[in-house]
Amino acid sequence: MRSLWIKGAVVIGIVILLLIPLNEFVKKSWAYNNNQGVLVFQNDPSSLDIINLGTSHAMFGYAFKPLGLSHLDLALPSQTIEYDLKMLKQYDEHLRPGGIVIVSLSQITFSNAEIGRKENYYQVLDREDIEPVSAFDYYTYASFPALHSGSVYTALSREVRDFRWASHEPWVNKGENYSKRKYEMVEAQYKRAVTNRDIEQNKARLQEIVAYCQSKGYRVVLAMEPVHASYNAYFNEAVMDRLVHQHLATLDLDVPFLNYMADERFVDEQEYFHNPDHLNGKGRALLSSLVYEDLKRLGYL
Amino acid sequence: MTFISIEFLLFVALLVAMYYVVPHRFRWVLLLAASYLFYATLSIQFIPLLLVSTAFTYVTGILIERQDEKRQKKRLMVMGVFVLVMFLGWFKYFNFVNDSLRAMAGLMGWNYDIPYQDIVLPLAISFYTFQAISYLVDLYRGKLKAERHYGYFSIYFAFFPQLVAGPIERAKKLLPQFKAEQRFDYEHVSYGMKRIAWGFFKKTLIADRLAPMVATVFSRPDPTGSEIVLGTMLFSIQLYADFSACSDIAIGTARLFGIKLTENFRQPHFAVSIADFWNRWHISLSTWLRDYIFIPLCKGKKKRHQIYVAIIITFLISGIWHGAAWSFVLWGLIHGIYRVFGDATKHHREQLASFVRLDRTPELHKWINIATTFQLVSFSRVFFVSDSVAQAFHHARLYVTPSSWAPTGMLHALELFSLLDFVVFLFFFTAVHVFQYIERTKGSAWDWLAGRSTLANVAIQLFVIVSVLVFGVSSEGFIYGGF
Repeated sequence: MRSLWIKGAVVIGIVILLLIPLNEFVKKSWAYNNNQGVLVFQNDPSSLDIINLGTSHAMFGYAFKPLGLSHLDLALPSQTIEYDLKMLKQYDEHLRPGGIVIVSLSQITFSNAEIGRKENYYQVLDREDIEPVSAFDYYTYASFPALHSGSVYTALSREVRDFRWASHEPWVNKGENYSKRKYEMVEAQYKRAVTNRDIEQNKARLQEIVAYCQSKGYRVVLAMEPVHASYNAYFNEAVMDRLVHQHLATLDLDVPFLNYMADERFVDEQEYFHNPDHLNGKGRALLSSLVYEDLKRLGYL
Repeated sequence: MTFISIEFLLFVALLVAMYYVVPHRFRWVLLLAASYLFYATLSIQFIPLLLVSTAFTYVTGILIERQDEKRQKKRLMVMGVFVLVMFLGWFKYFNFVNDSLRAMAGLMGWNYDIPYQDIVLPLAISFYTFQAISYLVDLYRGKLKAERHYGYFSIYFAFFPQLVAGPIERAKKLLPQFKAEQRFDYEHVSYGMKRIAWGFFKKTLIADRLAPMVATVFSRPDPTGSEIVLGTMLFSIQLYADFSACSDIAIGTARLFGIKLTENFRQPHFAVSIADFWNRWHISLSTWLRDYIFIPLCKGKKKRHQIYVAIIITFLISGIWHGAAWSFVLWGLIHGIYRVFGDATKHHREQLASFVRLDRTPELHKWINIATTFQLVSFSRVFFVSDSVAQAFHHARLYVTPSSWAPTGMLHALELFSLLDFVVFLFFFTAVHVFQYIERTKGSAWDWLAGRSTLANVAIQLFVIVSVLVFGVSSEGFIYGGF
């Protein structure tokens, strides 16, 4: 009996000692901090000119502060349109009357039914807004993320992201491999979405976002971020019609749609991209300035 | 609250502490409350069904025992089993039967207008229904006495460690253990904790690490043959790791309370034949099917072909128990055919082995048998993992196409996965095999471990816990939890 307690105490003690640096490691990771912009805003809110929603495509897509606009980026990786609405409702009280809401559309807008990492939302949404989440997870994530299954590994994966098959490098084969893999993933997700009737639900939610914004007097614009030519070859017009545009057309939304997906200012310029479907800093600056000009043209600014 | 959560570990720790403090006569209340609470956190809406099934089986059991005549006992037993099967049938098989009838009516040009019903499958119904059936049948057979204590009986029905995915226990084994006063035993608690940790290890480092890889293959619009071969073999490993981890956690948790549950696995992927496989895989279900389906079907039958028919029927029931879909029925049929073919050709295969002198190298012969059995089992799992019969046949055809096995294609298929994920999986898969090797050569790895120094024990425990914390990933639930 005594030896059980001693052994247990030794094992628990060592595990706790190991957890301390692991915890710090996770806290510094990209995945843990990718909602940092929202957290900073939470602590120091201000009146906003523009909000953008969306997935990682939008997260890497917009930076309006250098253009003099007060901007809050509410996009997170694999964010569903359901969570777009939740994020908007949580933070729109700071949007000035007549402010702009950019609703980013991507290849997965209508098929995506599962958020990437639930943990991203623990500190930025109310608990009841997050799909079933345990009290332990919700209340410990901020201080002890290492206790959460997969968190350490996610952080570690990011640190050793160069350890991958040569064929998985984003620009190998001029981005063709990366784009093909993404295409297959999106196709599989779309197939599931058709079976599970997710598309109808996502369409209804997009409609809800637009109606909500209009009821609040915000100006809504739909936008699609640019992709590289290799990506555009897979997600060509016919594919995008099937994945997105046919569904969008049935909604008959009376809002402008800024579609930069195959924009020739980007499509052949690898220098603007981090990988074939995500912009880098330079690309982000260019896209933001283009959107800014288009918003001015629309009379939104 | 799922098994793979800190809440579950805290829940169990608190419960164990209370269990050994509370006087024995009140422990059933604690276990029963904990079991219902556990079930409620997973599926509160089906608590009434669990309560009704429990009460129905309890009353039927007493009524069976009260009958003097064998015929009356049988009539009540059959009625009881029928009602339990109807509960299961409504929730699990209504839409399967309905869809099948609709498809058949469509083919025959009949008018069939019963619509699809939105029925949710109650958690654990397949498991507790089988336990209830075994209780009623054993009572009828006079193998046990009807349990009069409603509290103990209810725990037998809902004991939380094994409620969700087994092992499927018999009342004769479990009830006396609940009634016996369990004293705090260092060996039990230590063993239970190690078993739970090992379950976490297999689930988070093997099963859930493989899950997205397997899903990647089977969700692809047009997978190659090599991808299907690789994906199916990985699915076999995933399924074993997932289900055996669930059993490990169940057995470990029960042992913390001094309760010994049935071992559900004995390294099934090292089976030397299909018959051997079914002695090692989901043992509690295999023995249940043997005792309550196969043996009654064989009663009075002596001819070989009659036994073969009983085997096929037993495996078809096994298939349909797993899931309400024709792909599961086909999976069961394939195993039935394997089993019959294995028995019918046993003599010829032995002659062939002798002819090619394999019998002179028994070790090589054994490993050829293991590899063949694994491949047969993996092939059948194409039907287990595919979404539809059409897809299953397409995948099965790819699986048996020789070009699918080309090494270059297999290496290319590996690139579907993240290199880091694959390397991490390989490392921990090797660790599991070291454990299994010790099991095979030393008898019990747990006993072997107990014989090592304290330092070695602590180091191994740290390896397991830290590996789970750093490299573990977890999806929701267990595959067999869905059955």
